[in-house]
Amino acid sequence: MNVRIEEIDGNMVAFLEGNLDTAAAPETEKAMNPLNDVEGKDIIIDCTALDYISSAGLRIFLGILQDAEEKEGHVYIRGINDKVRAIFAITGFSNIFEFI
Amino acid sequence: MKKMIEFIRRKLSVRVSLWVVFFAAIIFIVTLGILFYQARDIVRQEAVSRATQILDKTSLHVEGILNRVEVASNMTKWLVERHPNKADSMFVYSRGMLQNNPNFYNCSIAFEPYYFQDKGRYFSAYTRFIGDSLRTIQGGSDSYQYFFEDWYLMPQLLEKPCWTEPYMDHDVSTNTSEMVTSYCQTLRNMRGELIGVINISLSLNWLSQTISAIKPYPNSYSIMIGRGGTYFVHPDTTKITRQTIFTQTLEQPDTALTALGYAMQRGEEGMKHMNIGGEDCYVFYKPLGQTGCSMAIVCPKSDVFASFNRLQNSVGAIVLVGLLLMLHFFIRIITRELNPLRRLAHEAETIASGQFDTQLPDFQRVDEIGQLSHSFGNMQQSLVKYIEELQDATAQKASIESDLRIASNIQMGMLPVKFPTSADRDDVQLFASLTPAKQVGGDLFDFYFRDEKLFFCIGDVSGKGVPASLFMAVTRSTFRTVSVHESMPDRIMTTMNKTIADMNKTHMFVTLFVGVLDLPTGRLHYCNAGHDAPLLVGAGVGELPCDANIPVGFRPKWKFSLQEAHIFTGTTIFLFTDGLTEAMDANKSQFQMERVNDVANRALANHQQEPRQLIAQMTEAVHQFVGNAEQSDDLTMMAIQYIKQQSDVQMRKSIVLPNEIQEVPRLNAFVDGVCETVGFNEDDAMQIKLAVEEAVVNVMKYAYAPGLRGDVTIEAASNDVRLKFTIIDSGVPFDPTVQSEVDTTLSAKERKIGGLGIHIIRQNMDSINYERSGNLNVLTLRKKIPHN
Repeated sequence: MNVRIEEIDGNMVAFLEGNLDTAAAPETEKAMNPLNDVEGKDIIIDCTALDYISSAGLRIFLGILQDAEEKEGHVYIRGINDKVRAIFAITGFSNIFEFI
Repeated sequence: MKKMIEFIRRKLSVRVSLWVVFFAAIIFIVTLGILFYQARDIVRQEAVSRATQILDKTSLHVEGILNRVEVASNMTKWLVERHPNKADSMFVYSRGMLQNNPNFYNCSIAFEPYYFQDKGRYFSAYTRFIGDSLRTIQGGSDSYQYFFEDWYLMPQLLEKPCWTEPYMDHDVSTNTSEMVTSYCQTLRNMRGELIGVINISLSLNWLSQTISAIKPYPNSYSIMIGRGGTYFVHPDTTKITRQTIFTQTLEQPDTALTALGYAMQRGEEGMKHMNIGGEDCYVFYKPLGQTGCSMAIVCPKSDVFASFNRLQNSVGAIVLVGLLLMLHFFIRIITRELNPLRRLAHEAETIASGQFDTQLPDFQRVDEIGQLSHSFGNMQQSLVKYIEELQDATAQKASIESDLRIASNIQMGMLPVKFPTSADRDDVQLFASLTPAKQVGGDLFDFYFRDEKLFFCIGDVSGKGVPASLFMAVTRSTFRTVSVHESMPDRIMTTMNKTIADMNKTHMFVTLFVGVLDLPTGRLHYCNAGHDAPLLVGAGVGELPCDANIPVGFRPKWKFSLQEAHIFTGTTIFLFTDGLTEAMDANKSQFQMERVNDVANRALANHQQEPRQLIAQMTEAVHQFVGNAEQSDDLTMMAIQYIKQQSDVQMRKSIVLPNEIQEVPRLNAFVDGVCETVGFNEDDAMQIKLAVEEAVVNVMKYAYAPGLRGDVTIEAASNDVRLKFTIIDSGVPFDPTVQSEVDTTLSAKERKIGGLGIHIIRQNMDSINYERSGNLNVLTLRKKIPHN
C-alpha cells in the first residue's frame, strides 16, 4: 500500500495505490495524517490505483471528511474503480462524499 | 255459503248472537212442542165431545120430527076411525094435518077400493103444499093405483105402523116428483077390518136440509142412510137414493167405510177416524130412533184443528219473527259494545306496522274493554321506549361490531400471510392457521427469517376477546423487537417477559413457545413458557421435551431455560394452542391430545406430514369432532418442516491465524484462492474477501482480551450451490448478528466510526449465522455460487 500526497493547483491530492485492507489501515492512516491539518484547501483523494478497501479504510476516509467539514473544506474522490465504488455504495459512503 | 261461514267466523257479534238465538229457539221449540202436543189432544177431545153433542142434538131433533109425524098420524087415525063414513071429512083431516104441521111434505088418507061406494074404486085424500098454499085432491086413479104401492102394503104386511124406504112421490096434477119417506099405518073399522092406510110423508130434501143445517165445523157435513145403506142425506144430492154407503167400496175397497156402513146399519153409535175422499175425517154416527135410519156427521180433521192450526202457525210465526228480531238486536248491541275493540284492533294493526306514535282512542270505560285499552296503551308506551332503547343498543352494537371487524383485520394483518413452501426455499417450509373464537382472539403466531435462521413463536393469551387481542398484539410486537437483537430463545423470552411484565397491570399472561431453527444445520433452540409442548412428526410422532417454565407476563425476574434439539430433514414441528386439544363438541367433551396424536400418526402413515397437509387434516378432524357446536376457544396451529438436503462437499480448505491484524493479507490471499477455486468473478470475489476480512478482523480485535493471544480458524467449504466460510474462535461469547444496523443515510458528521463491518458482511454475503457452540463462537457466512 502506497500513499503519496502532493499539492496540485492549490488542492491537496492524495494518491492511493494497492489494497487498503485492515492490516494496511494503520499505516495508511498515519500517511494521510497531513490531510487532517489542511485548512482553506480542498482535498482530493485519487483512487485510480486503489484496488480494495475494507471498513478500516473507510473509517480513515470518514475521519478526513469529518475534519474537513469542520473547517468547511471539501473532500473529493477521484478515479475510483467500480469494485471500490460498490463498497462505497453499500455502506452509504457514496452519499457523503463528492466524486469527480 | 262459504262466504257466509267466513263472515260468521270473522264476526264475533254474529257468532255470539247466533248461539244465543239458537239456544232460545231450542227452548221455544221444546216448550211449544210440548204445549201444542197437549193442546192438540185437548182440542181433539173437545171436538169429539162437541160433535157427539151436536149429533145427539140433531138426532133428537130428527127423532122429534119423526115423533111429531107419528103422533099426528095417530091423532088423525083416531079421528078417521071414529068417523069412517064421511068421505069429505077425509079431505078436512088431511088438510088439517098439513096446516098444523107445515114441515110435512104431504098427507094422504087412502082407502080400500070401493070403500066409499059413491066415490068409486079410488079414494085417497091427498094434501100437499104448492108454494105456501095447500092443495087437497083425490089422489087415486087408474094411472095411480095406490093400493099397490109399498107404503100402502107395508103396514098391512108388518101389521104395525112403519116408515117406508124412500121413494119418488109423483104428483100427477103438478107433474112434480119429490123423494120422500112416509110413515104409514092401517085404518080399521070397529070390527077391526082394514079400511085404508094413512100416510104422512116427509120430504127427504127437507130432511136433508134440516140435518145439513147443523154444522159443527164450516166444512163438516151430515149423511143419513137407510136400512139398506142407501143415502137419504148426503151433500152430493146425486147420490141420494141412488147409491148406498157401500157403492163406493165396490170400486175401491175401503174397509173403514165398509165397517162404518155395517156399524150404522146395525144401529150402533160411535166415532170413527178415517179417510174420506182423500181427507182425514172424524165420523160420528148414531141411529135415528125407530126409523132404521142412521145419521153421521163427517168432520174433516183440518176443520177440527183449523183454529188450533191457526193458533199454532201464529205462535210459530211470532216466535220466528221474535227470534229474528232478537238476532238482529243482539248483533247490533254486541257490535256496538265491541266497536271499541274493533277500533283497538285497528290501532294495534297500525302499531304493528311500525307506527308506534299512533294515538290510541280513549274509551272512558271501566269494563274489560276499558282495561284492555288501558293495558294496550301501557304496552304501546313500553314498546316505544323499548324500541328506542333497542335502536340505541343496535346502533352501539353495530359500531362496536364495526370496530371489532377493523380490530380483527388489524390483528390478522399482523400475522404473516405468506408461508414459504418448498418452491420458495430448499431448507424449510411452513404453514399456520389461526381461527379466533370471537372476532378478535388472544392466540398468536409469528415467524421470520434472519441470518439463515427461522425465528418463530406461538402463544396463547389468557382470556379471550378484545383484551386478549390487545395483549396478543403487544406480545407479538415485543417478540419482533426483541428477537432482532437476540438469537437465543431463552434470552428472547427473558427479555420479552421483563418488558411485558413491567407494563402488565391487568395480570394477564401469555403462554409462549419461541424457537430458533438454524436452517443450515437443522439445530433447533427453543424456550417454552408454559405452552403446550409441540409435536415432532418425523420418524415417528413424539412430543418435544419442554422444561417447566412459567408463562410470560407476571414474574419479571424469571430466568427462562434454553433447550436444544436436532431436527432431521423431513421432520415437521407441529405447534398448537390449547384451542386444539380443548375443542369441544356439543356434549362438552374435548378433542384431547390422543386425537391430535392419532391425526398426526395417520398423516405420517400417509406421508402427508407436509405443513399444509398436516394442518388441513387436523382442521378437518377438529371440525368433524366439534360438529355444529360453537367454537369455544381460539384455535391456532403452525407446522414447520425442515427439508434441507445436505449437498456433497466438493471443496474444503482451512487456515488458522493468530489474532493479529498483520495476518489479514494472508487471510485475503486465502479467500482469493478459495474464490478462484470455486469460480467467483473478480467483483464477487472482492465482496466475499471484504466480508470475510471484516468478520475475521472483528474476532481478532474483540474476541480475546487485549494482549491475550488467540487463534481464529477460517474454514472454507463449498458444494454445488454455496460457498461457506466458518469463522471459529474460543473467545468471549459474542454475537455480531445482533449488533444494531448502521444508518447509511446519515451525514458524514453524524456517522459513527463503528458498526460498518457487520453491515458490509450482510450486504456482501447471502447469509450470516452465529452460533455459540460449547466454548466456541461459530460464525458462518454463505454466498451462493453463480451458475453460468
